[in-house]
Amino acid sequence: MSTATWRLITDDDVTASFGLAADELITRWVGAGQSVPTLRLYTYAPHCALVGRFQRLESELRVDYCRANGIPMNRRPTGGGAILMGAGPLGVALMLPGAEGNVYRRARDQMAQVSEGILAGLRSLGIEAEFRRKNDIEVNGRKIAGVGIYRAPSDGVLFHASVLVDLDVALMLQTLNIPVEKISDKEIAAMSARTSTVRRELGRDISVEEVRQAIATGYAQVFDAELSPGDFTPEERDAIAALEREKYLTDEWIFQATAVPDSAAAARLKTPGGLLDIRVALSGRIIKSIFVGGDFFAADNAIADVEARLRWHPAEPEAVAATLRATYERWPIELESIPLDGLIEAVQTAVERAAAAQVAAL
Amino acid sequence: MTADTTYALPADRAYDAAQHTWALYDPAAATALIGIDALGQASMGDLAFLVLPAVGDTIRRNVGAGSLEAAKMTGDVLSPLSGKVLAVNAAALRDPSLVNRDPYGDGWLLKIRPADWAGESAELIAGEAVSDWAEAEITRYRTEGWI
Repeated sequence: MSTATWRLITDDDVTASFGLAADELITRWVGAGQSVPTLRLYTYAPHCALVGRFQRLESELRVDYCRANGIPMNRRPTGGGAILMGAGPLGVALMLPGAEGNVYRRARDQMAQVSEGILAGLRSLGIEAEFRRKNDIEVNGRKIAGVGIYRAPSDGVLFHASVLVDLDVALMLQTLNIPVEKISDKEIAAMSARTSTVRRELGRDISVEEVRQAIATGYAQVFDAELSPGDFTPEERDAIAALEREKYLTDEWIFQATAVPDSAAAARLKTPGGLLDIRVALSGRIIKSIFVGGDFFAADNAIADVEARLRWHPAEPEAVAATLRATYERWPIELESIPLDGLIEAVQTAVERAAAAQVAAL
Repeated sequence: MTADTTYALPADRAYDAAQHTWALYDPAAATALIGIDALGQASMGDLAFLVLPAVGDTIRRNVGAGSLEAAKMTGDVLSPLSGKVLAVNAAALRDPSLVNRDPYGDGWLLKIRPADWAGESAELIAGEAVSDWAEAEITRYRTEGWI
């Protein structure tokens, strides 16, 4: 890759509508040659809850809680699941001109590439993270960053990531409709154990600014890019404001829905290793999220990997079983107290019930 | 040589070589079905969401005719042909995995009345050219690690 010059924009405390409109607008303009390639590293304030491009917002967020607590809700142009943004998660938006050819093949190629900048930044801080094609960026099985891609009609490509410098897990459970039975200290502890943050990995209260600098340097090194600090131009700001008004501040965008049905269900199974309590949320025939609970003893990072591997995974029984077998091969000791066959059965039962709920709703 | 049918690109239809979409023309009715071919859907990954234009909309070749999400990537479906939308596959809208499971059958996307079949089909791979192109594309996708 040849040396490139990218504009570096760092901004904090942006609103949900501005943050997203800016990313989409600059991506469009970069694709059309009207804006320069841009790396934006930013944070949101106040907290906001963002769903993926096609998700049904009412299914993904606790809408009443968000409204009652002044947490804006919005819809990203990129795919993936719902996330809670704020001062702790660092937003990464890399906006580049796209390549010609099969757009999705190219995008997938670049999904791994874009993650390399984040990996290099984390590595410079002493964190060995890795990119997992479906599971985002993780540290020893625990998610520390999520990645998504949007290809604009103008041929610009937006790589979106949220790097968890810090995460308010209790607020996340209040805000996102994660399939747990209830929000208790136990659920908060379980969820905390299955995600990680930069601060937890380093064991110190590192500032967002220090992480931002590390990731900026990581991108510059990996992409052999020269970063030129800058800001949005007046013309860009005008167009961003217009896109906010016309799209990101409208209910038509925020609450839009596709024809793909959502559903959720649970299954419990007693096994020699303990009780399994499986909660599954489906989007059509895709498992969009899964929570593995119960009273068994297993390593949290291995359970986190089970959940991550089945997230955005086909719900077909054979595919689920194959993925669980592969997960057990990675974590044979950590998962040995949970019978593989029992876990497969419990997950498939929950999936079948969720699928039946979709049929019943027709 | 044994034919590889895993990523079949049947010769009964025409393909956009860049986007890996297909068009199946019915000369008697002057209509065409449009879909994503086996290499296109396999390299994208599992489709989670699909949005298509409405019946009566006009679409243009190489311009967005809907959008989709596969493996956390979102973007447009670029049509291989221009024309007017006559029908939309409602089953695929509800269950986008149909496109992965049956890209040439139940996983079709749109039925259109082409605006310029004679002119635009000349830009597609069709007929006897499909076999050699398909073999080369499957080899290329394998070599590059996409399938």
